[in-house]
Amino acid sequence: MKRILPIIIFIGLFIFLTKSLYEPQTNIPSPLIGKPIPTFSLSELNSDTSLTNNDILGTISLINIWATWCVGCDQEHSFLVDLAANQTIDIPIIGINWKDRDDLALRWLSQRGDPYSIVLSDPIGKTAIDFGVYGAPETFLIDEQGVIHYKHFGPLNREIFASNFMPIIKDLRR
Amino acid sequence: MKKVCLILLLISTQVSSVEGNDELTSQERELYQHIIQEVRCLVCQNQSVGESNADLAKDLRTQIMEQVKKGGSEEDIKSYLLSRYGDFVLYEPSFKKSTYILWLSPILILLLILGWLRKIGIIGK
Repeated sequence: MKRILPIIIFIGLFIFLTKSLYEPQTNIPSPLIGKPIPTFSLSELNSDTSLTNNDILGTISLINIWATWCVGCDQEHSFLVDLAANQTIDIPIIGINWKDRDDLALRWLSQRGDPYSIVLSDPIGKTAIDFGVYGAPETFLIDEQGVIHYKHFGPLNREIFASNFMPIIKDLRR
Repeated sequence: MKKVCLILLLISTQVSSVEGNDELTSQERELYQHIIQEVRCLVCQNQSVGESNADLAKDLRTQIMEQVKKGGSEEDIKSYLLSRYGDFVLYEPSFKKSTYILWLSPILILLLILGWLRKIGIIGK
């Protein structure tokens, strides 16, 4: 037993470390959960009107960070369009167009449909840093007061939305 | 060939960290260089923000640079990053409740190994 024990420990460690090597940590817990959204003042896409963090409050909503250069955004877009049209779930999606060009963003929305109630543009990415964004798409769930209740990293789809977002939304609406 | 590779390697790590550097005092530059080496680039997790050419890393360098210029201390800037990205953003996480195990586990493991070595008689009792 004395002889075998180190080998067992070694194999155990080896398996553990090798496994972690192939599991990139993408869902890094956000320290912003439970905190209000950061303050910002961003102009609406293709417009001179600026909106601040206070202007988007009032209903439970999603904040979706997206860009036309982002592959994951392409994958989730049709789901977002379906979600925006869904009267039963009835949740507005606020888009933040991240480090993108207004003309490209507008073309994308006119070609594929526009799921957003508002689209703000953050061309330099400062607001995205305040949101702790490290890769698009990212989606935040906020309540009426703007407190962040959940954050999802990566493309959204029906399953993820049903299992991770819906229970919290139901709770908030109760 | 080896020499060429080495030179290229040195150049490539330097290029990314010099943008806009000249407006800083030498003290500020040192602080800036120090911080960007300690901050993890989250999209390319095995590089620091100082080494990475990813867009987000550039943005973070700009933010860090601006704060250094405004006179922010190392602590100010680290807490700015921590409040947005969490512990994971720093290569050296702070010592607190959720990281006790992380910091103390090497010592624990060392003690366990020593105890075990004593038990099997490799080191004297």
